[in-house]
Amino acid sequence: MLEVPERSRPYLRRAYSVADVDTDRGEVEFLVKTIGPGTSALERLTVGSSARLLGPLGNSFSLSGLSASDRVAVVAGGIGAAPFPLLYRALAAARIPGDLFLGGRSSADLSIASRFSGVVTGELQISTDDGSAGRRGFITDLFAERAASLPSRYARVFACGPMPMFAALAPIVARLGIPAEFSTEAAMGCGFGVCLACVIPGAEQPFLVSCQEGPILEPARIRW
Amino acid sequence: MVAAGLPVRLGPLELKNPILTASGTFGYGLEFQDFVDLSKIGGICTKGLSLSPHAGNPPARIWETPSGMLNAIGLQNVGIEAFLDEKLPRLRELGVTVIANVWGDLEEDYVTVVRALERAEGLAAVELNISCPNVERGGMLFGNSPSATASLVAKVRAATRRPLIVKLSPNAPDLVESARAARDGGADVLSLVNTFVGMAIDPETARPRLSFGTGGLSGPAIRPLAVRMVYQVAKALPGTPLIGIGGIADLSDVLEFLAAGATAVQVGTSNFRDPSVSGRLVDELAAYCAERRVAVTDLVGRAHAPAATPVPLDAGAEG
Repeated sequence: MLEVPERSRPYLRRAYSVADVDTDRGEVEFLVKTIGPGTSALERLTVGSSARLLGPLGNSFSLSGLSASDRVAVVAGGIGAAPFPLLYRALAAARIPGDLFLGGRSSADLSIASRFSGVVTGELQISTDDGSAGRRGFITDLFAERAASLPSRYARVFACGPMPMFAALAPIVARLGIPAEFSTEAAMGCGFGVCLACVIPGAEQPFLVSCQEGPILEPARIRW
Repeated sequence: MVAAGLPVRLGPLELKNPILTASGTFGYGLEFQDFVDLSKIGGICTKGLSLSPHAGNPPARIWETPSGMLNAIGLQNVGIEAFLDEKLPRLRELGVTVIANVWGDLEEDYVTVVRALERAEGLAAVELNISCPNVERGGMLFGNSPSATASLVAKVRAATRRPLIVKLSPNAPDLVESARAARDGGADVLSLVNTFVGMAIDPETARPRLSFGTGGLSGPAIRPLAVRMVYQVAKALPGTPLIGIGGIADLSDVLEFLAAGATAVQVGTSNFRDPSVSGRLVDELAAYCAERRVAVTDLVGRAHAPAATPVPLDAGAEG
């Protein structure tokens, strides 16, 4: 009895943010954390394997209106840092300093930090819930402290992580009056606005369809 | 272009081919323009339309399962007015065969929506959803009772001249009785099946994975159940045109439903995984019919032929 590696799970595609692109070499990078059968199957792919890709889908972070005299903050929870190498490529090209606030439950969540070596255009701040790396505590608290101590406020905050991190960050950026873009997380079935699975409660409408109207949303559009 | 051998007729409803897309898995069609030539598909069934826009259920709305998924979207839709004003004119321009899927809480809601559709141009048929398991009222409550099915279908029948399709619930206590009730109420065509009520529970928290608690199971996981039900209804109600639905992803799945007695099929959950699948199935079916020199209608109901009867196909092209 020979077990065939192709399994019935996962059935649907998975949404990943593009971590970086190399247009000269025609390469796209994804940062994937192995958490279940789908990510395990991706991890087992060997060099030269092929996989079908539908994309790019959804919207992007925006640097419009920002200049080299501005300073921005990038707030990431664990693997939520995945889209930020590409953002930093754009920030570097525009000479915009950006501080990276990278948080996790423990140091095990922060292996992604090495990907940002030489990439960050500002300071790197790290925290963990258990204190095993960086400062002990939530990354949103570290961000709030740092933001309040700056002589001039951040021109924009870019964030990606789990919903509890966003829920903590939203009132902070609102209080400080900083425009923010949150790359939201929601289970997606199709990625192009049809299955209506990835809805997020909206402030002015019942639901925002994350894949269609986002995934990057201003926190004021979300009902917290 | 209509390929030879592909057109089918389901009572008063004529289709250029038997590949349709299932309600709830194809939006309003326009979302798929980048992936498939919509005019090529036999027809699209819209997201279930209600009198007023409907917000649907809070997340979490889907949970992936082996070879399929559970959903409890809760019939989120733009409502009949927005559909008629914003979606249908564009579909008409694109030459899409549109089947309006309709639902409501009460009989009167269904009738009102169907009446509103009467004035619209460019609708090939109406499909009644009496089988959604993810709303508190309406939906499956009609489909689970043959008398409620017959009463609702008769009222809607009186309100429309269009071909009337009734989408049956596999959760009904007796599917054949439901099918008979829908037919006797005046349905021209029966589509089967909608999703099976299922559930997934997080073993850590012991709470349901979906906010609604239960959800509808779809995808290849349900295909054998759906094939059995199509076969069963085709046998019990010969001459009633059927549309088969349940986990269709490949040409062989289409052929299986046709053999069971369906004259057309609807592709559902596969649209999420591969948005171009419906167009590909039309091409593959056309190639199959050309190669075998058969028409789709020759393929319908072959599973009901006595076992001793030779399969009436020119199999010469098969090497």
